[in-house]
Amino acid sequence: MWRTIFRKLHNCLPSVVVTCLFVALAPSLMAQTAETHVLTGRITDASGGVAANVTVTATRVDNGEMRTATTGTDGSYKVEGLTPGKYRLKFEGAGFKTLEIPSATVNGTEASVLDEKLEVGEQVSGKPSPAPRDNLPNAPSSSTTAPSLSDLGLSPEQTQGNAREQALLDKRTHMLRIHQRMGLITTIPLIATVATSLNAGGKNTSTASRDLHAALGGLTGDLYGITAYYAIRAPRVPGTETRGPIRFHKAMAWIHGPGMILTPILGIMAFDQKSNGEKVHGIAQAHGPVAIVTAGAFGAALLSVSVKF
Amino acid sequence: MKTIAACSLLLTLPPIAPAADSQWILQQSTLTYHVSHPLHQSEGVSHASRGKGVCHAGQCDFLIAVPVKSFDSGDSNRDLHMIQVTRGAEFPIVTVRTRLPESVAASATINADLEIQFAGQTAQYKQVPFKLETQGGETHITGTIPATLSDFKIDPPSLLTMPVKNEIPVRVDVTWRPQ
Repeated sequence: MWRTIFRKLHNCLPSVVVTCLFVALAPSLMAQTAETHVLTGRITDASGGVAANVTVTATRVDNGEMRTATTGTDGSYKVEGLTPGKYRLKFEGAGFKTLEIPSATVNGTEASVLDEKLEVGEQVSGKPSPAPRDNLPNAPSSSTTAPSLSDLGLSPEQTQGNAREQALLDKRTHMLRIHQRMGLITTIPLIATVATSLNAGGKNTSTASRDLHAALGGLTGDLYGITAYYAIRAPRVPGTETRGPIRFHKAMAWIHGPGMILTPILGIMAFDQKSNGEKVHGIAQAHGPVAIVTAGAFGAALLSVSVKF
Repeated sequence: MKTIAACSLLLTLPPIAPAADSQWILQQSTLTYHVSHPLHQSEGVSHASRGKGVCHAGQCDFLIAVPVKSFDSGDSNRDLHMIQVTRGAEFPIVTVRTRLPESVAASATINADLEIQFAGQTAQYKQVPFKLETQGGETHITGTIPATLSDFKIDPPSLLTMPVKNEIPVRVDVTWRPQ
């Protein structure tokens, strides 16, 4: 029975995970023309009045591709030439609080419509806006003699932002955050698998114990695969030298990675031998030690980024 | 002859536009931010600040600029996350501005009002205490800016689902010399 449950669980787990991911990442917007896409809408203030001259900036999250548009006298805007993907949207207008929408997906077959209301007030995000100075007794001067960034020898290239690089960092952090969470979740069945191994490999063990151990091992392997995927696929930042505990974390992957492949292979061999009434023999005997080393390396990798050595 | 003399005199006079009475240059700097997490503490250090002070009519305007990327916590992964969460690629420079009376150079302590631009936001800190030590014409200033993540609308990053504390005090250790 346990074997049947394990097989069913093992078979349907990828579908469940894919479905969950699909639901979580479901697009919030859908718009498309034949090749590029259009985002349109109308911007109003809180009372429903027209908000003209509001700059709408759509920045593609994964590559920093940017398109802008400005609202007309009727408050409407039209951002054209958007390739399918996720965009960060920013609405900036004089006298309004800047509104940011962190992620909006542009795809589909029709132009997407996004109407927004802006609150009256000073900008709360976006470009820095100097705060009032006159309420401070010795506030920074606005006189012409005050030094500027160019006085410090900083070139415009050094002081200008790079939306593409920010988008790359955002994507990297997003993927590594999932990697971190999945790694934590994986720890639970991993510990349970190690714990149930005590009743799975001895002389007087039952088939049910072995099935449970195998099911937990399978679940661990699947979750580990998802965890590894998000680490491997997270974009690299060019010109970054790996330093500090993360080096150890990555080095451990060279142990627990192959271990996570080898352990179930050896486990299946040991499982079959036990099921045939044989004593575990040959290379299958390495299942336990390999699993312990793998779990140890996984735990060390986890600790290396959690606790300061 | 008189004309030539008058022209020569004019050429040797300083320009009519307001000129700085004196200037200060940032000689050496160490800025250190401190982040607290339930599992561990970490610090990021930068020695890459540039600064200048311009004094006129008894008041000095100071500007310090430091690249966000220059902070080193000893862990490249943490530094990249820091740059991401503070939008350091989009807003690559942190600036600190203050205005002080020229006379404070002789004091042992000062309270400065700071205006800091960071992560696309501007925050002001009133009456931040600093210690001054003048030696050999150089003025050594130390103090701590009581910065917080929320001052700059930065979402606290988390490790193992536990967020870091909102407080990120920044230790300042700078040496200025008159130009």
